Amino acid sequence: MARNPGLLGIFPYLDDLLAALRNLKEARSNILAVFSPIHFSEIQVIMGYKPSLVRYFALIGGILGGTGLVSLAVYAHLSFRLNTGGKPVLAWIPFVVPFFEGTVLLAVIFTVVAWVLKGRLPRVRLTSAYDPRFSEDRFGVLVACKDGERDTILKILKDAGAEEVRDVAG
Amino acid sequence: MNQEILRTLSPASRHYYLVVGLLFLVVMAGAVIWYYQIVTGLGVTGLLHPTMWAPYLVQFVFWIGIAHSGTLISAILYLFRARWRTAIARSSEAMTVFAVMIAGLFPFIHLGRVWIFYWIIPYPNQRTLWPDFQSPLIFDFLAISTYLTVSVLFWFTGLIPDLAAVRDRSQGIRRKIYGFFSLGWTGTDRQWHHYGTAYLLLAGLATPLVISVHSVVSWDFALAIIPGYHSTIFAPYFVAGAIHSGLAMVLTLLIPLRRIFRFEKIITLKDLESIAKTTILTGLIIGYSYIIEFFMAWYSGNIFEKQTFLFRAIGHYGLMFWIMVVGNVVAPLLFFCKKIRTSLGWLFALAILINVGMWTERFAIIIGSMAQDFLPYNWGFYTPRWVEISIIAGSFCLFLFLFLLFAKFLPSVSIAEVKEDITPLHRGKGKRDHHGA
Repeated sequence: MARNPGLLGIFPYLDDLLAALRNLKEARSNILAVFSPIHFSEIQVIMGYKPSLVRYFALIGGILGGTGLVSLAVYAHLSFRLNTGGKPVLAWIPFVVPFFEGTVLLAVIFTVVAWVLKGRLPRVRLTSAYDPRFSEDRFGVLVACKDGERDTILKILKDAGAEEVRDVAG
Repeated sequence: MNQEILRTLSPASRHYYLVVGLLFLVVMAGAVIWYYQIVTGLGVTGLLHPTMWAPYLVQFVFWIGIAHSGTLISAILYLFRARWRTAIARSSEAMTVFAVMIAGLFPFIHLGRVWIFYWIIPYPNQRTLWPDFQSPLIFDFLAISTYLTVSVLFWFTGLIPDLAAVRDRSQGIRRKIYGFFSLGWTGTDRQWHHYGTAYLLLAGLATPLVISVHSVVSWDFALAIIPGYHSTIFAPYFVAGAIHSGLAMVLTLLIPLRRIFRFEKIITLKDLESIAKTTILTGLIIGYSYIIEFFMAWYSGNIFEKQTFLFRAIGHYGLMFWIMVVGNVVAPLLFFCKKIRTSLGWLFALAILINVGMWTERFAIIIGSMAQDFLPYNWGFYTPRWVEISIIAGSFCLFLFLFLLFAKFLPSVSIAEVKEDITPLHRGKGKRDHHGA
């Protein structure tokens, strides 16, 4: 028989979900995932998320992109065999443009890669707790159940207004 | 809400396929004529000394301009939390991606010997030749490729939750395809958390990029010494023009889209009115730029500048100049009248007029300035030939073709964001009563 990791509560209303999350947090339950069709910052606040690390990836990408492209420009200009113009070989002011473009390009690429990986994507198979209604108009919370916790969690979810609660197999 | 937006993805009518098929034929004809130009040489076009930068670069600047408003609407309005962005952002971003792709084709078409385009890419080579990083052409290459990459990633990131919604309502091969592109999105708290931060960062990074790209395009001209090109006002002037044309193109595309897909409740008249009001601002900036250009030509005392601008207004291409003034400056002023900016017919007609005006502006600047520079000995006029007319027609059809495919196979309005705007509907009893929902 499959291991039973938790209970999934499905809510029609956001307020009911938020109430359930608060009560589950108070009861020190282990919330595995909250499903939502929209981005709602209050969920993240209740779940106690710290600011996303994605911003550091953007910073690193920006620094690497900007310095990388200027370094390439410097290397290319020092490699010129025919300097006939009499102008400085390294023209720093025009290099601002490659610096800016390189900064934005790699910052954006790093940001996208970072959020995808931090969001534990890409995934070939959807998690068994996922319900297609979560991309439409329903909210969900998946709570881990240890022995003896099931009834308490079930009561919290039902009391908060879950329209459906079901066991999710591992 | 899902059904309201996703019904656009239902099987299309015969008319749709007929239009798409016709557009595809014209695109293919354009491709064949480009092949003919490559094989025969640029001599088959009307390109002749001194107007060597002619219609292909007009098209390049025109499409880059069109590409601007998509990311501008999406990114800047997102940062400012402007609600009217939601309904129009997705299709504007799509417009941006297609317009940049088409704009990127034109330097290749203009190049003639397209097979040596790789010379512009910096890499160690046996010729010991490196591109000059001080050249605006290299700036252009970097700016356009960065803009295309950023626009595609920004667009794709916004699409992921909606692709998951389509996946959940599809079967068979469709489900597999949408599932692949949705990356397995399930809308967990963790995914939304990082997604939200990333989207904000992308909007923040894309905003200065939008401003920079058309500035860089303007330097292709401003760094040259030809009167009519060599001007410090070009960067803000081109950026305002780009936004102006982009907004007009958004109106041109959205008004039929709204009608065909019955999106009246999602893309409201108020959203279209907001775009019209913004074009008044951009139109005034452009009008100011036109006046300043003429003022500086007179005030500088430079006879070459003076004759260039006199030629622009009353010379061989004078008609283009006056179409540009009427289309870009006079037409948007009509939007001051509420009756006009809330009438779909007027909005559509004036948007087309602005688009025509912006095309003629690029013609007047690029070709008009080259036609008469310093020496009368060096003067000459450009006359278009069937080759470039066909390729240009092909590019317009390619744009419409791609946009029609987008409208049929992807959600043309952001489902997740529209839902966020109607959050009260998701609220519990107390809140619902409070909001009256």
